[in-house]
Amino acid sequence: MNHELTLPIGLPGQGMHLGVDPLSCLFLAILAPQILAVAVGEDRESVLFWVFVLGMVLAVVAADAFSLVFGFELMSAASWVLVLRGDRKPATLYAGIAMFSGACLVPALFLPAGGVAFGLILLGAGAKAGLAPLHAWLPRAHPAPPAGISALMSGGMVKVALYVIIRYGFVVMAPDVKPWWGIALIFAGGASVLIGSLRAVLETELKVVLACSTVEHVGLIATGLGIGLLAKGFGDNALAATALQGALLLAVAHGLFKPLLFLGAGAVKHATGTNSLDWLGGLIRGMPHLGGLMILGCAGMAALPLGPGFAPEFLLLHAVFGAAGTGGILGRIGFEALLAVLGLSAAMALVSGLRIVGIGFLGRPRTLRAAAAEEAGWPVLAGMALLAVLCVPVALLPGLLLAAMQPVFAELVPGAAPQPLAYAPFPLALLLAGFAAGAWWFVKIFGARGEREVPAWQGGFGKPPPWLPFGNPMTQATGTGFSEPIARAFGYTILGAKHLDPGEVYVLAPLARLHQVLTRAAERVRRATIRQRLAFVFGALVMFLLALGLAQGG
Amino acid sequence: MIYPLAHLLGGLVLLCAFSLLSQRRLAAMISIYQLEALILSAAAAWQGYAQHELSLYLTAAITLVIKAGIAPIVLRRIVHNFNLIRAVETAMPVGVSMILGVGLIGVAVLVVLPTTINSVGLTREDLAISLSVVLLGLLVMTTRRNAVSQVIGFLSTENGLVLAAIGMPGMPFVAELSVALLVLLAFMVVGVFLLRIREHFDTLDLSGIEEIERRGR
Repeated sequence: MNHELTLPIGLPGQGMHLGVDPLSCLFLAILAPQILAVAVGEDRESVLFWVFVLGMVLAVVAADAFSLVFGFELMSAASWVLVLRGDRKPATLYAGIAMFSGACLVPALFLPAGGVAFGLILLGAGAKAGLAPLHAWLPRAHPAPPAGISALMSGGMVKVALYVIIRYGFVVMAPDVKPWWGIALIFAGGASVLIGSLRAVLETELKVVLACSTVEHVGLIATGLGIGLLAKGFGDNALAATALQGALLLAVAHGLFKPLLFLGAGAVKHATGTNSLDWLGGLIRGMPHLGGLMILGCAGMAALPLGPGFAPEFLLLHAVFGAAGTGGILGRIGFEALLAVLGLSAAMALVSGLRIVGIGFLGRPRTLRAAAAEEAGWPVLAGMALLAVLCVPVALLPGLLLAAMQPVFAELVPGAAPQPLAYAPFPLALLLAGFAAGAWWFVKIFGARGEREVPAWQGGFGKPPPWLPFGNPMTQATGTGFSEPIARAFGYTILGAKHLDPGEVYVLAPLARLHQVLTRAAERVRRATIRQRLAFVFGALVMFLLALGLAQGG
Repeated sequence: MIYPLAHLLGGLVLLCAFSLLSQRRLAAMISIYQLEALILSAAAAWQGYAQHELSLYLTAAITLVIKAGIAPIVLRRIVHNFNLIRAVETAMPVGVSMILGVGLIGVAVLVVLPTTINSVGLTREDLAISLSVVLLGLLVMTTRRNAVSQVIGFLSTENGLVLAAIGMPGMPFVAELSVALLVLLAFMVVGVFLLRIREHFDTLDLSGIEEIERRGR
């Protein structure tokens, strides 16, 4: 299935080589639905959007290093301009990260295969994918542009970055794999999972929550990839295949439900003028279709059973269990800790999904704008519905999907025979549907005849005071209040008293200080007097002469 | 007979260049520069006699007339007319700059003697001396704050270059080189003084301070 196509443009004398193999087919399949959905939903008139799409597709179908870098950088540049449409400061931060990743990737792809090259790829592509510790830009930059671009950045661009890691770790540099490559990926992934899931619970802006959740999912995928790389290095092909199944299936699922959620968040902002959970509430009455689709997406994000996110996490946990049973004592302890992190993050993901639905879409509207929200336009709904429909096979028939992805696993881990999936949601769903139908029939036959509509348990409120007969919506729990128990239990211990992201405290803040120091030094050079400059040149001359003399004399 | 005298004259030029470092008054610096130019002119004449080169006599004449004659007079007149501060402002203590100067002479010897090991035996010391003079002139330029003393450092550097050029047997265009350097020198002096740029090179914009100083006097 190796079709090569040579374009006459590109490097002089070589052109650009494009080709598809199972891996790039899989990533094209991940990209296609979200591109289609975003194009249907919004942004299809923007030229830059299509340049962005072209860059992503080019990076995935590239068959030589030059085309890969070209597509990757095209993607970065176009998305930077698109972020710039939203806000200036995140765009600047994003431009810095994009340049950093370019500066790492360009030498890496042309270096001989080995530890240095893979380390640089990990830094460059990892920064672009939002892997800890270089993830702090993602919750700032992803929410900034219009929703469709956010959707594509979160669902597609990080996948392209992960694709680069997979392509080089598993295919191009496969003969030189060292154990530490996988371990580095697992560490970065584990840290991203922990920080991302925790911040997703604590943030109040809807799009920031989604971006933090993207950090978490990227971390999960990276963890799976790391286990796969490690197991492949040790020759444990079955384990590697299981981990890769989890990682790639999660990439597929995340590429469906995350753009859906971002599109929905954009529609919410369009309808209410705000994205802050503290000012929303009760949206499902005004926008029932959007609310239903968002609930579906949140079920995927929270990895609920029978949702699209469950099967991959199931496989990932299996892989971690398997890895924990094989290594030495340090490895065992490490993987047990990873298991704890994954469990904690699954719980956090559940809370953050529940929080979006419960605070934003259920309950009573907290503001007039939220109360007056109207249903989103049909293009957005159509785009979201497309993604939701595609979620169904991922959710209910993951076994079939994995069987269809078998060539990819065969390409990445040659000679692997993955175990069949021990989780069969389709019969489970049938069973549940049967039970539900039976219960409905039972109630229909034997239940009470009359109907009376009252809010269960008063909708969770006390009796309204006499001077405010309809109650005060502000007495509902807010998004901040809802996450307060978790903030107290974990936020202070993991993120510190001010809930600052370690990525910002230990990476961005030192960089800002370094920038200040360098600026001051540059300013001092600029303001140097003629004599000082002369002295500098003179000193350099004397140093040169000294070196010359010592080299000649010695 | 040729080389000992050439070396003696070169050494005297080096001594003058070195003693420029120790001076704290402009008048003394100008006098020492005059002495240096005089010795250089003698050295050029001696080399012209030894190498039978007519152009070296020309160099000697130019040096004698312009550098040892006109330039010091112009400098003194400028100092007098513009009523410049006669003391030399140093950027570092004189002792430290002299220690640095000794170090620079060491560097010059360290560079020249090993790198020219295969070339004409007896001009190597000459080259080392010239390089020392050049470096010392640059040191004067960087350790003095007055524009006049910096210009004197520059002129001393230029003397070192001429010393190197006349010491090389068969070096072409010596006279042309010295004339070109002279033009540069003239522009420097004209630029710094006749256009009344400033007392200091040390700050970029001194118009305000100059105004205050003028009123104060």
